[in-house]
Amino acid sequence: MSAQMFFIGFFGLAAVWFGIVVFRTFSMVRSALALLFSQTALGAMFLSMQAEFLGVLQIMMMATEMSIMAIFMVMFMMDPGGLGEMDMTHQKRLSLIAGLVSFVGAVAVAVFADWGPAASVVPDAAQQTVDLGLELLGRSMLIFETAGITILTAMIAATAVAIQSVTRSNEHGH
Amino acid sequence: MGIELLLALITGAALFGVGIYGALSQTNLVMIMMGVELILAGAMVNLVAFWRFLHPDIPAGQMFVLIIITVMAIEMAVGFGVAIARFRAKGSVEMEEAAELKG
Amino acid sequence: MTSVLILLLLALGAYLVAVLEAWIASGHLSLATPMLAGIALLGRESIVPRKPDRIFFEVGPVLLLISALLAAVVVPLTPNLIITDLATGALFINAALVYVLVALLMAGWGPDGAYAMVGGWRFLGQLIAYAMLIVMPITAVAMRAESLLTTQIVVSQAGLWNIVYQPVGFALFFVAAMALAFLPPFDLPTATGELAGGVEAEYSGVRLAVLRLGRLVLIITLAAATVVFYLGGWQGPWLPPWAWSALKILAVTATMLLAGRAMPRIREADLLAWCWKLGIPLALLNIFLVGVLVLVFP
Repeated sequence: MSAQMFFIGFFGLAAVWFGIVVFRTFSMVRSALALLFSQTALGAMFLSMQAEFLGVLQIMMMATEMSIMAIFMVMFMMDPGGLGEMDMTHQKRLSLIAGLVSFVGAVAVAVFADWGPAASVVPDAAQQTVDLGLELLGRSMLIFETAGITILTAMIAATAVAIQSVTRSNEHGH
Repeated sequence: MGIELLLALITGAALFGVGIYGALSQTNLVMIMMGVELILAGAMVNLVAFWRFLHPDIPAGQMFVLIIITVMAIEMAVGFGVAIARFRAKGSVEMEEAAELKG
Repeated sequence: MTSVLILLLLALGAYLVAVLEAWIASGHLSLATPMLAGIALLGRESIVPRKPDRIFFEVGPVLLLISALLAAVVVPLTPNLIITDLATGALFINAALVYVLVALLMAGWGPDGAYAMVGGWRFLGQLIAYAMLIVMPITAVAMRAESLLTTQIVVSQAGLWNIVYQPVGFALFFVAAMALAFLPPFDLPTATGELAGGVEAEYSGVRLAVLRLGRLVLIITLAAATVVFYLGGWQGPWLPPWAWSALKILAVTATMLLAGRAMPRIREADLLAWCWKLGIPLALLNIFLVGVLVLVFP
């Protein structure tokens, strides 16, 4: 029982548990922050799998994204504190069955496939970062640039959808 | 076949299952998006596990994960833009009420 | 052993920040004021609001302290005095400091009080303003050092400190660091006078002591990060490296505490407008200029 196996198991269990809490709790802010800690546990799992850059990146970005999700929940949902204990679900049996079937299917593929020998030599973290940078700007430059253009398009699209036209009379709020 | 790879893949499968349950069972758009985030997180765990335990010398595995993180951010941005527009038009983001195009 | 020494130095630094803050606020220097104030705070009654979100109420201040300590783990005080020299150290500082936001959201939502909640969500708006202004100057600094190791970043400044090499980046990082530590004029979450203490309003006794301690450790960690990224870390002519580190960190802390004293609190809308319309183009320009300089002068 090596340390790596323990940490992968522990953080994986934490991630799944927080993921289940997301849909079991009535308080919306608790739901968003539970998702945040689920993603943090995943980032810690990446760190224990020696993907250091990805782990740190995941921890950093998901905290910001899930906090923004928290404020959107407070803006849009009827009972963000959860004290009313409303049940906001539909087609429960179908979704439960779908979730279980997909879980069992994925586990079956994982257990019954022959993945080959596990690799044991991993480049160290500094070398990984250098290699990732060279890969991004070398062989996968097209993908990187396309991702950049897609992000720009998404920013413009989101702003265009969400913006309210400001007439002369209601600029500055009066 | 290492036990660590199996643990990581089972975690990915569990997150995927929870995400599908959430995305299908919730009525609010924001909660559905949380389910989708969990599905993408499950895929990411699988990718990192495959990179680490099968091909650690190929950086393209990590690059794929970077692209998925980017996709998560983009999907959240546009999704929340749409949610704001819907909220302004109708006063709620409940997907049960969004049946205007239904046959 | 190194870890214990660094944690002791951090505690000493946080104490000195408290002394400095009291000196700047009241005008006379008294070395015992923070200790007496801390003891008084611990002796006071711990009032719990009527229906708090218990988990958030308890975890908020602790998470603030933990995130500030985690960020201090990768900051080098001398070439050998660093708890862990992570290969992605410069990014890890930012990753740890983002949890300051999560801590303040918890501290804001937890007590089930209006002022605290407004303070907490205001900090989220502040984060959207300063987040890019922290990460982009770090990118430019890492470009010059060609590594994310914090020790390598200090070593790369041996010829010329980054404050001279990338002054725009320094200005942006300094302002964003003040906004992260919610120091005046960016103290929207704990707007004294307007929100009656905001995020700190509903806390008392031990939890308030932890919250205030977390804030002090955050200030000194940010000052240490500024010194490592822009002021050459431990490098200097006659004194030993630890003396230079200490002097520079205290100087940066004093500047951060003094800088906002004469300015009114910046409104949320103005902060967002200035940071996104002026700050981010400047940060991108900084990256471009540093890229050109790095290629032209190897």
